[in-house]
Amino acid sequence: MQFVIALFAASHQPSARRALRFAEAALAGGHQINRLFFYQDAVSIANNSQVQAQDEFDLPAAWREFIERHQLDAVVCIAAALRRGLLDSQEAQRYGRPAATLASGYCLSGLGQLHEAAQQADRLVCFGGD
Amino acid sequence: MTTLHILSTSPFADQRLASCLRLLSPGDGLLLCGDAVYALNPDCAPRQALELMPEQIALYALQEDLDARGLHDWPARLQVVDYPAFVALTLDYARSNSWL
Repeated sequence: MQFVIALFAASHQPSARRALRFAEAALAGGHQINRLFFYQDAVSIANNSQVQAQDEFDLPAAWREFIERHQLDAVVCIAAALRRGLLDSQEAQRYGRPAATLASGYCLSGLGQLHEAAQQADRLVCFGGD
Repeated sequence: MTTLHILSTSPFADQRLASCLRLLSPGDGLLLCGDAVYALNPDCAPRQALELMPEQIALYALQEDLDARGLHDWPARLQVVDYPAFVALTLDYARSNSWL
């Protein structure tokens, strides 16, 4: 079966980790993940400037590794991203900011990408909250 | 069309569980994860409400969240699930609704 997984919670919130565990279990179960969509505060997961304390689980790194290993389509809402200081090199140049902060493996795009993927997949599962 | 409702916030912090209970239809499922599993605390009003749900509404909770909070006194109707079972549940129901 084909899944779309949408995340709404920031990287420090439990549901960001729960979404990763769900995604891992979905692939391990032989299913496909058509798209990951990072919306609202979940865009922080794709921020390459976040630094975790050494004795804490680095969830953004775990997501990056997971996306890279499985070559997943990871879309970050561009409107949610820009207002939280998350820019790719093109946006950094456009708005005259000193650095791109979007981690590799992610792309900035619009909410339409969530809608399109949800229409094509068998299931949309959303993760947010505590 | 059956719906799996996914709750992750504590019933002692907001009204999501109360709202969700009013919306549940026969054939639907309710999955508690994160702080929402505190609804299973013995002798509290949310637990009583869950135990009084119609039989046709299935009740699930995520194992790791029960373990993390030391909750082991479960209602008889509760089905405890791990992540592979969570994935299977989203396929058993026609759609899922996360109470964000």
